[in-house]
Amino acid sequence: MAAKPIASPIPVALYPTLSVFTLTIGLVITAIFFIYETTSSRKNRSLGKELATSAVASVFLGFGSLFLLLASGVYV
Amino acid sequence: MKQSSVVVDLLLLLLTISVLTTPAFSDLVLSKVERRIDVTSQFARVTKSLKVVNPGSESVSEFMLTFPKFLGNNLAYLSVKTKRPLANLSVKKADPKGIPDSISVYSVALPKTLSKGDSLTLEVVATFTNVLQPFPEKITQGEIHLVMLQESAQYLSPYTVESQSLSIKLPNARIESYSKLENTKLQGSELKYGPYKNLPPFSYSPIVVHFESKAAFAVAEKLVREIEVSHWGNVQVTEHYNVVHRGAQLKGEFSRLDFQARPNPRGVSAFRHLLARLPPRAHSIYYRDDIGNISTSEMQSDSKKTELLIEPRFPLFGGWKTFFTIGYGLPLSDFLFASEGKRFVNISFGSPMIDLVTEKIIVQVVLPEGSKDISVTTPFAVKQSQEIKYSHLDIAGRPVVVLEKNNVVPDHNQHIQVYYKFSNINLLSEPLMLISGFFVLFITCIIYTRADFSISKSSPTYLAKLQWDEVVATLQEVQSIIQKCLAAHDKLEASLRDLSRTGDIQTCKAARKSTDSLLKDLSKELKPLLAFLQSSPSASHISPKVEELVVKEKELQEKLMAKHTTVVEGYEKKSSGRDIENRIASQQQKIIALRQEIEDLLEFIDEI
Repeated sequence: MAAKPIASPIPVALYPTLSVFTLTIGLVITAIFFIYETTSSRKNRSLGKELATSAVASVFLGFGSLFLLLASGVYV
Repeated sequence: MKQSSVVVDLLLLLLTISVLTTPAFSDLVLSKVERRIDVTSQFARVTKSLKVVNPGSESVSEFMLTFPKFLGNNLAYLSVKTKRPLANLSVKKADPKGIPDSISVYSVALPKTLSKGDSLTLEVVATFTNVLQPFPEKITQGEIHLVMLQESAQYLSPYTVESQSLSIKLPNARIESYSKLENTKLQGSELKYGPYKNLPPFSYSPIVVHFESKAAFAVAEKLVREIEVSHWGNVQVTEHYNVVHRGAQLKGEFSRLDFQARPNPRGVSAFRHLLARLPPRAHSIYYRDDIGNISTSEMQSDSKKTELLIEPRFPLFGGWKTFFTIGYGLPLSDFLFASEGKRFVNISFGSPMIDLVTEKIIVQVVLPEGSKDISVTTPFAVKQSQEIKYSHLDIAGRPVVVLEKNNVVPDHNQHIQVYYKFSNINLLSEPLMLISGFFVLFITCIIYTRADFSISKSSPTYLAKLQWDEVVATLQEVQSIIQKCLAAHDKLEASLRDLSRTGDIQTCKAARKSTDSLLKDLSKELKPLLAFLQSSPSASHISPKVEELVVKEKELQEKLMAKHTTVVEGYEKKSSGRDIENRIASQQQKIIALRQEIEDLLEFIDEI
């Protein structure tokens, strides 16, 4: 049976581009989160909004930092 | 001295052979033996072609391959093949009775039993290390490097040999001396002994060849080769070398001036360069040691290989050592394959350096976390074990297969396969770990802004702070309501403009009614907030302003309503546009002024 070569699930040449985009989006959403935290008063804060923003921001930041590590040569 | 002990060995061998009565082995006869020994490098590579004939009546299934003990102890690589059909035969070290101790025996399993009258040709390749002995053992910087080879002109075997010949390929340099037996010829740099005919078994005639060797006697005392496989697209190979020059030792001092003198530099016995052949598409190659990066290296790559020529920090003379590290990355799809539900890494075993002998090699294949059912297939015997390595983003650690082997020559640079099972879902655990790390940071921020860190709950400053927070919240609500009122005013104005455009009075009246009810609702909402602001002591300086704002807003409301009714009446009476404008002129001015004041107050409240 012929052996099929295995490659990475995402083409390696895409890693730098992907890391820039996901990190930018992640940082923008982090900024939205922190702006909400500082401009709302204690009574008016809604926990659901905070958790949702932080969840989306952490997903994008997590993938962004993973692609950043891969693009810079640390193949984790 | 080494030389005398070997000679004593040879004499003992001859003695034991002549004293012992050799028992009859299977009656195989070697009809033609051709031996070629290549000593151009630092090891001796012997290629033998043996034609085995079975004249006896029994059929034979195994063949004894023998070497004198001093060669057998230094045997690094042995492979036996048949040419037609091309097949590798399995060879095992054997210890049959009746063979003297000074002979090492290997038993070759023949592919099919050799019956009477059949013949078979075996091709044997054997590589021996440490058999080219430097003689003299210590030389000064300017002397040439002379080595000595001790062998036997006749093939030592338990079978009768009908015809045999030996040819030794020497390096293209000075030949100091060689044993002259009958039928000895030296042609250029090739020494031929033979052909000898019809010799009895165990016949042996020692020869010694003393010649100059220009090969680099580079020996790696220890080589640790780490191959790290990452499914994100890279195989990283890191090699740590401890290289020593195992030729004649340097006696006396080293003079750099003599070494670099032109036109006759002194120091032919040293070597400066080491050449490594890496696979094609190797990237990110580095060459460093404990001090730092070593910049004396060159790389040349094409589609079949990548050649790396490295120059250690100093030339290596006999007995000198150096250590360094080489690392490079390889694309994953060249080395990782899938077959039958398992994955396997197909990568070379030995060092990529050409002509380097390794005394001890340790190959560590690091597989990604979550690999299971690990097994290794190698074309030769290695010592296997497993370890765990903790690296980036690891929870349980990565499994490491450790393969060890002693006495490795470039013939061992064949491919090994490491089989394992892995599903791509395990790749997700790494980004998940990063995501959860960032999420924990955000949760900490949320908890921090919600937590109450004040030490005393009844101090006046704490209470004042609490009240101020409430006031600010109320102010924000008041602000939003006023904005909604202003939006309603804008809608009224818009309906007036629509009226002037379309002349539709009914919709205008309907718009006024809805705006009226909306404004009434908003003022109802505003009442409790105002009450609270009036009652709280900390809002005392703001509440008059807020009241003022509300009052002004009410005025504006009334004025707008009046203006609206006037305009609508004017349209009902069908009076001209200018009439209407005149009537509402004064009202309009007041409206504009009031609006401006309201906006100023809103700004003031915003800044608090």
